[in-house]
Amino acid sequence: MIDVYRALFVGQIQAASQYRVQSVLWMLFSVIRPVIFLAAWVAVANAQGGRVASYDVRDFAAYYVALSLVSNLATSWNAYDFEFEVRMGRLSPKLLRPLHPIHYAVVENIVWKMTTIIPLLIVLGFVAVTFDARFRATPVHLVLFVPSVILGGSLAFLGGWVIATSAFWTTRVHAVSTLWDRAVFIFAGQIAPLALLPGALQTIALVLPFGYMRGVPAEILQGAVDVPTAMLLIAVQAIWVAIFYALLQVVWRVGVRQYTGVGA
Amino acid sequence: MRYLRLLALFFRTELQYELEYRTNLALEIVQIVVIITTSVGAVLILFNYTTVLNGWDLGAMLVLLGCFYLVQGFGELVLQPSFEKFMEHVRLGTLDFALLKPASAQFLVTLRNFQVVQLGQMGLGAVVAIVGLGRISTLGPGEAVAFAVALVCGFVLIYALLLALSTFAFWFVRIDNLMAIYWSFLDAGRFPVDIYPGWLRVTLSTAVPVGVAVTLPAQAISGRLDLFGLAVLVVGSIAAFILSSLFWRVGLRSYTGASA
Repeated sequence: MIDVYRALFVGQIQAASQYRVQSVLWMLFSVIRPVIFLAAWVAVANAQGGRVASYDVRDFAAYYVALSLVSNLATSWNAYDFEFEVRMGRLSPKLLRPLHPIHYAVVENIVWKMTTIIPLLIVLGFVAVTFDARFRATPVHLVLFVPSVILGGSLAFLGGWVIATSAFWTTRVHAVSTLWDRAVFIFAGQIAPLALLPGALQTIALVLPFGYMRGVPAEILQGAVDVPTAMLLIAVQAIWVAIFYALLQVVWRVGVRQYTGVGA
Repeated sequence: MRYLRLLALFFRTELQYELEYRTNLALEIVQIVVIITTSVGAVLILFNYTTVLNGWDLGAMLVLLGCFYLVQGFGELVLQPSFEKFMEHVRLGTLDFALLKPASAQFLVTLRNFQVVQLGQMGLGAVVAIVGLGRISTLGPGEAVAFAVALVCGFVLIYALLLALSTFAFWFVRIDNLMAIYWSFLDAGRFPVDIYPGWLRVTLSTAVPVGVAVTLPAQAISGRLDLFGLAVLVVGSIAAFILSSLFWRVGLRSYTGASA
């Protein structure tokens, strides 16, 4: 398995190095939206005399810089690719290979994130300086951030695959994944830090998996939650990853039986 | 007149094409509704903590959001599909067919394809704007006219920018990435352009005039755009249109067809 992964990595890195400009441009998507909402929250905070609840202007800056980093590391585009492969029948040869198609996606996902991380950090450094971000994170927070962002990324990846497999039944998953993306938009900490979501929405964000994909790692990196709370949140993240892993096993097994190449 | 008839014809064929896939059409409408309601929700969450955002109250913000979806809807209704097709024509060398027809090539290429379902986005955007207007008391005929003028100027500005951008396809062929960047910047138009820090505000109002195209119509209808500002906008839009058309013609000269 290690040899297989090594080969996949070499292949993907070679493929990625051909499209350097493209991958850097796609990275900007992870930055633009957090900056938009950062600017909006700064305007709100300024209208309220410099702070909103426990957040002041510099906290918002730190939060959205963290969120932007997490969004880039916890993004998953499988649903769109997968729909294309099912519709075009390109999945069929992949199913015949001895390796589950998900492994190709795992490697592609990791390689893209590794190649974009350096330009992303440069852009985020610039944003952090412009908005004068202040992180409250202690070294312990930074250590906890690593498992948290890995779990968040895994959760987003597995969730994306569960959504993608609905293509076995519907062929078009665009509508389903739009719903999923909008739930992420509202509940994962994009429009507001989880702590600032109004009552019911905050409960939903913390009961459903969405908040654990992006909002939780971002808050840990920013240092908005204390260490025991952070550890508890990471434990919940791990539970969600396990749930989605099991879910994916089930839907994949049922769905792949449903799948027929177009024309069969 | 002839051009209007052609435009109606293009629109009708594209409508017929989309009606072939009815389930897909229904799903796309559902997506538009979900996207716009969640955006309104995001604005409501912000206003849960404040009554005014840089001088924009909730009513004015909803008008702005409505204008954002009107402008973005217009872009996705005709500009995005047409310009994508145009770049494909350049790549495949099939632009010859448009150039040989007895009508303005720029017209034939840039207003040819429609995603009719995006009318839904514009319609829903209009609804959001009207709801917002209900919360603003002052609305005279003057503001209504100024709004219409400003909105059309916004459309023209977006058109001019996309035309100028896509002209680069004549030299570089593959420029979808440039266009993708443009569409992601468009997202910034959902908030008034004056909330952004200096460098971003300058970008959004000059290089990518999204801020202008969305913010000014919203200001016009809430009576906060004076006549001078409107005049500048009109002159600027006309100038942008003429300049980008000239640029397009320059680019067209280096188009060589498939194997020329």
